[in-house]
Amino acid sequence: MLGQVGFRAVEVRERFDTFRGTSKERIARKYGVVGVNVFAQKPQ
Amino acid sequence: MAMSCPVDLDTRRLRDEIRSIYARVAAEPSGEFHFHRGPDYAAEFLRYDRAALAELPDESTASFAGVANPHRMGPFGEGAVVVDIGCGAGMDLMLAAKRVGPRGRAIGVDMTEAMADKARASAREAGLENLEVRLGDAMSLPLDDASADVVISNGVLNLTTDKSVAYGEVFRVLKAGGRFLYADIVVASELSEGIRKDIDLWTG
Repeated sequence: MLGQVGFRAVEVRERFDTFRGTSKERIARKYGVVGVNVFAQKPQ
Repeated sequence: MAMSCPVDLDTRRLRDEIRSIYARVAAEPSGEFHFHRGPDYAAEFLRYDRAALAELPDESTASFAGVANPHRMGPFGEGAVVVDIGCGAGMDLMLAAKRVGPRGRAIGVDMTEAMADKARASAREAGLENLEVRLGDAMSLPLDDASADVVISNGVLNLTTDKSVAYGEVFRVLKAGGRFLYADIVVASELSEGIRKDIDLWTG
């Protein structure tokens, strides 16, 4: 979707186990919910 | 992950619930929530620099509720204009203001008045003069076209009801060549309709 609005070089740079130890940990694991760093650039 | 709301999701209720939850995080960050908060979480789970966090007012770092770390995606550049969408109590925003230096500018946008007030107070306490906070919404940013070198956001755009509108707003306010350093949650599996309509899960 970032590409559809015009961004280029879209890339997931890093993942984080954001919900570890919370009350939502079980459901996060079930559905593969993680924190991510995503890079995107507007073209020159 | 779901990119837009199910047709019959109550979007007004969702917005009200988001405002209510983050007002509570601002007022009482040590309360009961289903997500982590605070500087220890930021350092241990999201690899923030503990020393940099220790230089910020406790009031700001205690209410931090981000989900990843946009500061790990390269330098912002001395003198850059950085926008933080959903700046909350201002932790990422103040780190950005320090990184761009006195010739740069950090502009936070948040729809929760309590969070915006907290971010402004923390910036004053930290003596940061290159920082401002505007009340506003990710779906209609209070910023001019092509006015930012870098846009960051941490755990906020997943709460918007139409990602394409929110991403379009980021694209609009960035200068040509500008970077979007986007920290958020993603879902690997297709979600059932019941889960997509659950307000508690949207606001988590």
